[in-house]
Amino acid sequence: MSETQQPTRRTMLTRLGILLNAGIGAVLAVPVVSYILSPLRGKNGKPYNQWVRLGPLEQFPEGETRLATFRNPVVRPWDGQTADIPCWVRRIEGEQFQVFAINCAHLGCPVRWFAASGLFMCPCHGGVYYADGSRASGPPERGLFEYEHKVEDGQLAILAGQLPTLAAENRTARRKTCDC
Amino acid sequence: MRLLKALGEWLDFRLKLGEGIRDAATHPIPKSSASWWYVFGSAALTVFGIQVVTGILLAIVYVPTAAQAWSSLQVLNHDPTLGWFLRAMHGWASNFMVALVLIHMLQVFLFGAYKFPRELTWIIGVFLLLMTLGMAFTGQVLRFDQDAYWGIGIGASITGRVPVIGGALVHLLLGGPIIGGDTLSRFFALHVFIIPGLLIGLVSLHLLMVLKLGINEWPMPGRIVRRETYLKEYEQLTHEGVPFVPDAIWKDLVFGASIVAAIAVCAAVLGPFGPGGQPDPTIIQAAPRPDFFFLWLFSLLSLLPPQMETPVLLLMPPVAILILLLVPVLSGEGEKHWKKRPVAVLTVLVAAVALGSFTHLARSTPWSPAMSAWSGAPVPISELKGRSALERRGALVFQAKQCRNCHALGGAGGMRGPALDEVALRLTSDQLIRQVLQGGGNMPAYGKNLSPAETTALVSYLETLKPEGRPPAHDASQP
Amino acid sequence: MSGPALWSRAAAVAAALALASCDLPGRPGPEPEVLRPEQVLDFATLYSQNCAGCHGAAGKGGAAVSLADPVYLAYADDATVRRVTANGVAHTLMPAFAQSAGGMLTDKQIDVLVRGIRGWAGAAAPGGIKPPAYTAAAPGDAARGAAAYQTFCARCHGPDGKGGSGGHSIVDGSFLALISDQGLRTAVVTGVPGRDAPDWRSDAPGRPMTEQEVTDVVAWLASQRTQFPGQPYPSLNTTHGGKQ
Repeated sequence: MSETQQPTRRTMLTRLGILLNAGIGAVLAVPVVSYILSPLRGKNGKPYNQWVRLGPLEQFPEGETRLATFRNPVVRPWDGQTADIPCWVRRIEGEQFQVFAINCAHLGCPVRWFAASGLFMCPCHGGVYYADGSRASGPPERGLFEYEHKVEDGQLAILAGQLPTLAAENRTARRKTCDC
Repeated sequence: MRLLKALGEWLDFRLKLGEGIRDAATHPIPKSSASWWYVFGSAALTVFGIQVVTGILLAIVYVPTAAQAWSSLQVLNHDPTLGWFLRAMHGWASNFMVALVLIHMLQVFLFGAYKFPRELTWIIGVFLLLMTLGMAFTGQVLRFDQDAYWGIGIGASITGRVPVIGGALVHLLLGGPIIGGDTLSRFFALHVFIIPGLLIGLVSLHLLMVLKLGINEWPMPGRIVRRETYLKEYEQLTHEGVPFVPDAIWKDLVFGASIVAAIAVCAAVLGPFGPGGQPDPTIIQAAPRPDFFFLWLFSLLSLLPPQMETPVLLLMPPVAILILLLVPVLSGEGEKHWKKRPVAVLTVLVAAVALGSFTHLARSTPWSPAMSAWSGAPVPISELKGRSALERRGALVFQAKQCRNCHALGGAGGMRGPALDEVALRLTSDQLIRQVLQGGGNMPAYGKNLSPAETTALVSYLETLKPEGRPPAHDASQP
Repeated sequence: MSGPALWSRAAAVAAALALASCDLPGRPGPEPEVLRPEQVLDFATLYSQNCAGCHGAAGKGGAAVSLADPVYLAYADDATVRRVTANGVAHTLMPAFAQSAGGMLTDKQIDVLVRGIRGWAGAAAPGGIKPPAYTAAAPGDAARGAAAYQTFCARCHGPDGKGGSGGHSIVDGSFLALISDQGLRTAVVTGVPGRDAPDWRSDAPGRPMTEQEVTDVVAWLASQRTQFPGQPYPSLNTTHGGKQ
């Protein structure tokens, strides 16, 4: 107890040493933490969501729903085929489109379009959606995720770049109400 | 020989490890603990050793990039001598390890070994279980095939349900906006550095505590654990006990070796797991399935009512872990023997039955549409026999409109909806028309996608689906 | 397990590994476990995944056209089978399978299917008689068709086509709405193999139907189409009337 009342030079210096290490540690934590958090800020200084072209309008016959694939706008050179993202393009008529994410709104499995019955079915847990993307049956709580789209230079373009999930901040996905 | 002894003495003079090892080896344990029931923990450790060795060997060839991982697994399967065998060992040992850890935990629970003074040993054990499961999941991801790709997608979708920070967490999990190169690198780091590092540290601590606190004695009904008296009682037991080496260890050695042999036989006979199809998201014909130990979760996710899913998904894991962690805190004293702990036994039974039935269900996936049944499963010839032209058209409507994906005929087809072999006994034509057009009961409405002619043909076909000689369904409201 | 037994087991495993690394049952085959969907070029697999549902296992006994029927194979040429498989038939229940038409199969896979289906053909034309052409040369005449119907078909399908002693109704509005004129022609020419409906040769004792008679009967059947088929109650009644 006498030490605490009368700190010697050595205990004083030890404490100083611990403090010094804590300080350095705190400073070093900055690069470590910001390195770990860097996926939150986009890549190469670009935002994740960008306009990508799916191809000329003629590729999508009116009244049909077709599979289209695009290269994700933000990629690493070693992403390989994982950066080729499919989506379902429904051309209602003229320049009226709906572009659905391939990922089921339930847990992200790839939904498949069945033209004859006009349904999207999910092979994982059995989510089913109508042609307009609204929920038909199964575990999903909502309709399919939709990409924002526009027509430019005779090409269909969508605002894409992220794996669509239920996370609110995902701007590509807009909530679709059921019209049934 | 004398030279060897001299070398040993030279080393021990400097390392000072010999005495500790001798003490650890010969420490006395209760006679009853030298039992065949006390071998699962050491076997799990042995299997972990196999995983470290085979894992390092695989890492020599494996390429952890999204573009190359799948091809490097193909190379591992075909090119290096017995590379496929090492992959198979690693995969099978992973299954054995999860199983052994679970059995070990069950045994510890039922033997009351987590009670005073071994509470912390149990708590560390809970973390070891979580890490073992973490290794199993990240390992499935490194086997970078379709199941892995969509499995991460499922993980991300679950993460995305977290309120407020869900989106940020998804990006952290994936290391970017999509499942890609950064994702695989992260899971590689987790599987190869982070989790194994923690595992080694915690396993050492876990073992050290077993040595320091002594192995649990065989429980006796009526022998109550009390904080005040237990240590003295245990000391008495070890005093009358036997040395760990050689009285108990030979059982560990024999069991451990048998497990290793079993893994090798499984690997040699059944071969490596996958890889399945290429991890290319544009292959939409994928029907992802999780590995065995996560099948129960797959069932649960299919069977939960939609509104309950997010709360269950987000609350169940922390609550379950919390309960496991609190077990020794809540019942640190008292009876150890299972015969005197009906609640504990019942809990184990309920959990085992639940997990078992969920796993069993997930093997047949009755909730998934059979995606190619409409074009691939022939209408049974017996169910076309003697049908009119219109009814045969109806059978075609049934196939072409993908009804078969959810409804089986003759045992083939989806199981999401009821099998329709005898539907005419259950529903009248009016009821069939209404069900087809409006859907309901988890069936989509087909009103927009069937023309009146198609509906008529379909329903007139469905009306023929009943065993010969039995009357069709009758509408009770009609005379 | 005793020590020696364990050792002998371990030694056996080691020996098996060393000696027979190529013969162990667990060794993966040279191909990847799961092919990419477009790499599946085996006819049996493709057929059983895409066609068997409607056309029956091995092209027989399905609800749709029997592809393995020698009459059908003599009647439809490769280009026809290919076109129908790839693009489907609009307004009927035959969907398109080619990717270019919204299906899931590549052109190569369609080729495999066409070749495989063709492979079911036996020798040349059945019975040495060449079946009528796949497509009608000129539009038929419904009035003449009615007469031809009486000669060749009425015996089983009844005088007005609503079903008779040996056959079901073939003028039901919903049935006619779900089959194209070409489909009717195919049905008249090939009959329904495996059931009692005979092909174009044996519809009447003595001689096969002529090309013109086939065309005309199809025209007569087509003229029986109603404007609003499938209105449930009247239509269902006719169906029941046609059943025996």
